[in-house]
Amino acid sequence: MELIADRITKQYKNKIAVDRMSFTLAKGVTGLLGANGAGKTTLMRLLCGILVPDSGTISCDGMSVGTEEYRDILGYLPQNFGYYPEFSGKDFLLYMSAVKGITGKDAARKTKELIELVGLAEVAGKKVRTYSGGMRQRLGIAQALLNDPQILIMDEPTAGLDPQERIRFRELIADIGEKKIVLLSTHIVSDLEHIADRLMIMKDGQLIWQGSRSAGGEDLEAFYISKIGEKR
Amino acid sequence: MDHDRLMKDLREICRAPEPERKEIFFQGLAERGVTSGRPTSISHGEFILRQFLYIGKWVWLSSAVLLLFITWICYGNNGNYPFALTPLLAAGILVETERSFRWKMAELEYTARFSLRSVMLARMFLVGAVETAGLLVVIWAVQPRFSYSFGRVFLYMMVPYLSASLFGSVYERKHRTDNGWGSIVICLLSSAFFAAAPYCMSSLYEEQFAVVWLAVFVLLIISLGSSVRRWFLEMEEPAWSL
Repeated sequence: MELIADRITKQYKNKIAVDRMSFTLAKGVTGLLGANGAGKTTLMRLLCGILVPDSGTISCDGMSVGTEEYRDILGYLPQNFGYYPEFSGKDFLLYMSAVKGITGKDAARKTKELIELVGLAEVAGKKVRTYSGGMRQRLGIAQALLNDPQILIMDEPTAGLDPQERIRFRELIADIGEKKIVLLSTHIVSDLEHIADRLMIMKDGQLIWQGSRSAGGEDLEAFYISKIGEKR
Repeated sequence: MDHDRLMKDLREICRAPEPERKEIFFQGLAERGVTSGRPTSISHGEFILRQFLYIGKWVWLSSAVLLLFITWICYGNNGNYPFALTPLLAAGILVETERSFRWKMAELEYTARFSLRSVMLARMFLVGAVETAGLLVVIWAVQPRFSYSFGRVFLYMMVPYLSASLFGSVYERKHRTDNGWGSIVICLLSSAFFAAAPYCMSSLYEEQFAVVWLAVFVLLIISLGSSVRRWFLEMEEPAWSL
């Protein structure tokens, strides 16, 4: 399975948020690096079908990103997400299961499994509004995994996680990335050092570098800064 | 307290619980994952029915109170004023369409199998269907109180309701807000318009105009369908301000 973006461009009013980007994502973890405002979130929304490119195409094994078939194999964690005020953690996952089209019996099973996986079993019945930032982020990660996605796209997934949680998250993503296409964006290089198989670096809406993680050398931070500093 | 001790204590406080049954979870993914064929998916019909549970309770409550109030007003021999109350019912549907944006669930719903469009359409359909059914019951109950036929009472009730729905949907498409106050104001203005209209045109509810009411009813149905369609085709725009 491959997710192929071919010369995609997205312009909003007078700002080109994504500028003629082409790449192919295969199984494994791909890290998307870039400063705030580089266009990472726009690119992720394009890959999820929330935004439609002004030009270019995005497809996965012949499926267009705007189709129900594609969304059925997609897991997405946005940078910011909310919850309906009456929801407990369990209600939230059951609701997302309903929108993802999972039957009641399977939804209950998956919800239980994922709540345990992200360490929220003890607070599953409590209102989401009582959760800490890290707990909400773990809940977000759980909802992204509900439908056993083949493509997992996560926008700044480690935001709000404490150092211990970051380490566990990396382990989880590394495990998932063995069999699925995983794209995660961050502006924190250390999040990707140990888990990314591939890297993409964005600047001002353009893909300025893409390649294997090993090409970045031992000091990934220095490599990233050198690429960002290069004039095109 | 020295630095090492402080760091140790902080680590202890911030310690996240170990994931439980991680191996079993991944084994489950391998056995039941997409690659081995997804076993369970609900139909569109089931999806619509499940949305019943997630519509705000205040929508049902306010609709029920309003329908009872309209019935009570009709029994009080208040002329044609009860017809001007039905636009207020439309506020429930219109505000409900903002719920995903208000609570920042829209982006998650956009990317789910049934997508935000389906969620909004399902909720509009359910609230609209229940309110229309409620109005039909009210019309059946109060029609003997009027000197009009059942069909005419139906038109006099539905045209104001559909007018508010149409103008509210156009407003929401062009000026989406997270709180829905614009829609509520439109419903109030529609209500005021239909309350004042008989003063400007005293023959408005006379039988000779029944055919005009019918034509307006049909036109409103078509326009509302077209407006909702355009609304959903233009849904990419709000994604920029999610």
